Amino acid sequence: MGTVRRVLGLVSGRLAVAILFVVALLAILGPLVAPHDPLATSPRTLAGPSGSHWLGTDNLGRDVFSRLLEGSRTSVVGSVEVALVGLAVGVVPGLLSVYLGRVFEWVTLRVADTLLALPFLVFAVAVTSLLGNGITQAMLTVGVLLSPLFYRVTRAATLTVAQSQYVESALISGASVGWVVRRHVWGKVLPPVMVALAYTVGIGFVVVSSLTFLGIGVQPPAPTWGGLLASDLGYLSYQPWAPIAPAVLIIVTVWASNLLADAIRDVSGEAGRALLNNRRARAVRATATTEPISAGGATP
Amino acid sequence: MSADDQQRAGDRPILAVEDLAVHYGAGRRRQSVLDGVSLSVARGETVGIIGETGSGKSTFARTVLGLVRAGRGRILIDGEDVARHKPRQWQALRRRGVVQYVFQDPLRSLDPDLTIEDSLVEPLLVRGMRRPEAVERARAYLGRVRLDEDLLPRLPGELSGGQRQRVAVARALVAEPGLIILDEPVSALDSANRVGVLEILKGLRDSGVALLFISHDLGSVAGIADRIAVLYQGRFVEVGAARDVVNTPRHPYTRLLVGSAPTLRSAAAARARREELRALLRT
Repeated sequence: MGTVRRVLGLVSGRLAVAILFVVALLAILGPLVAPHDPLATSPRTLAGPSGSHWLGTDNLGRDVFSRLLEGSRTSVVGSVEVALVGLAVGVVPGLLSVYLGRVFEWVTLRVADTLLALPFLVFAVAVTSLLGNGITQAMLTVGVLLSPLFYRVTRAATLTVAQSQYVESALISGASVGWVVRRHVWGKVLPPVMVALAYTVGIGFVVVSSLTFLGIGVQPPAPTWGGLLASDLGYLSYQPWAPIAPAVLIIVTVWASNLLADAIRDVSGEAGRALLNNRRARAVRATATTEPISAGGATP
Repeated sequence: MSADDQQRAGDRPILAVEDLAVHYGAGRRRQSVLDGVSLSVARGETVGIIGETGSGKSTFARTVLGLVRAGRGRILIDGEDVARHKPRQWQALRRRGVVQYVFQDPLRSLDPDLTIEDSLVEPLLVRGMRRPEAVERARAYLGRVRLDEDLLPRLPGELSGGQRQRVAVARALVAEPGLIILDEPVSALDSANRVGVLEILKGLRDSGVALLFISHDLGSVAGIADRIAVLYQGRFVEVGAARDVVNTPRHPYTRLLVGSAPTLRSAAAARARREELRALLRT
């Protein structure tokens, strides 16, 4: 797992991983450490922050801090679900579209175009009204609608590798398509797919938040970050600062996902080899050796 | 195999191409690349194919390797007609490793993410050889191309161009082929590395491997080939012993090639001769 080590070697990578780790901890432990029952109402509505209610209470007197912690699980699980569904639905057809012949290629390309053309929020609204209003139904739908991203990224990477001379060279040695995919294609396709995955987690957060903001995907009393944001906006004149906490959580998580995507992109593939060579060259120059360094994989 | 059979196998050319035609595209876009070419390479023989860009020399090699479909004609590899082979049959044939190929640019023909060791043992692992045995053989052939074993754990990006091309040659050798097709193997190298690689190829020729050496440069082929075939606009216009082709070229295009190679003749005379030959080609 050289990529993981290299991602952690970058400041941006370390920062992104740290933030996402905290968010994951919130999702796992949050509901357990919540000081109040997130669904329990009280007569003290729209109260300001106090020792008992750190972030105050909402319009029904529920503790906002507890609701944020409780909501983190739904938000995180939902966005990860979106990304994984997209990955599962998109990657395999993307890989196979290069190898399974023209008919399969044509059909999958048209399906991908069709999915891209559908506005996913509207489509998710339609599907949840058909399949019932649940977070899983909504996320499955959004995941499928985002899968063209994975399909295209995988296909583009596979196409480049499949036409390369080292793959021809392996085929001339008698390698099967399976061998070529395992040995040569997979390693080159994985980094861009990881970038797409981290990016989609970010999109997933936005989508989960938007959908729950609109009241789709979750039943009303259950809290999510998007839902909190929506209800807070309704009482802006009483508590102008209230939307800040859920908004900051959403923004920071999405930003960290994108940061991680960039970090993975920077350390993998051609760019990664160039980065490593530069570092090695700098290290050698620092120790004042006169041995020349090859430019490495960066040369065209 | 009886002694008699062995004798017959020894006589049979390692590669025989008969009346091969190849075209790209179909219908109005159809473009003929090779038009009825025939060539045979005997065991242990070195044959050079010379031609300018677009003459079809790379297509010839790629068709023999099964990367391009033959339109017409026969391709006999070690007696087996492969022109109509299905992918499975190609795979079985390739795993025997009879014909190997060396690309022009070794930076692109070696996987940048695999170590030199992984690249070298790949043809052997594909056939089902166990890794320790394959690594042992890779080491032996690395020595044949005058490279150090220290290079085995390195990546292609960490090697020089000449070293990389020698690794590509070693990769072709580990399969213990009867014929190696080299497509412009020294064109991407500087002159010092070029001489080094050519010397290794001469060593191979002397050890009994047949070589099919494809180049646009008469100079690099003339010194190594037993026979030279001149490809011009999809046809072999002249095939003969290397010395005859260089000293007494018959076809105008061959004469143009010989005239273009650096000679001791005065530059002015050579230029006049070239003009004359170009005029002859145009008619």
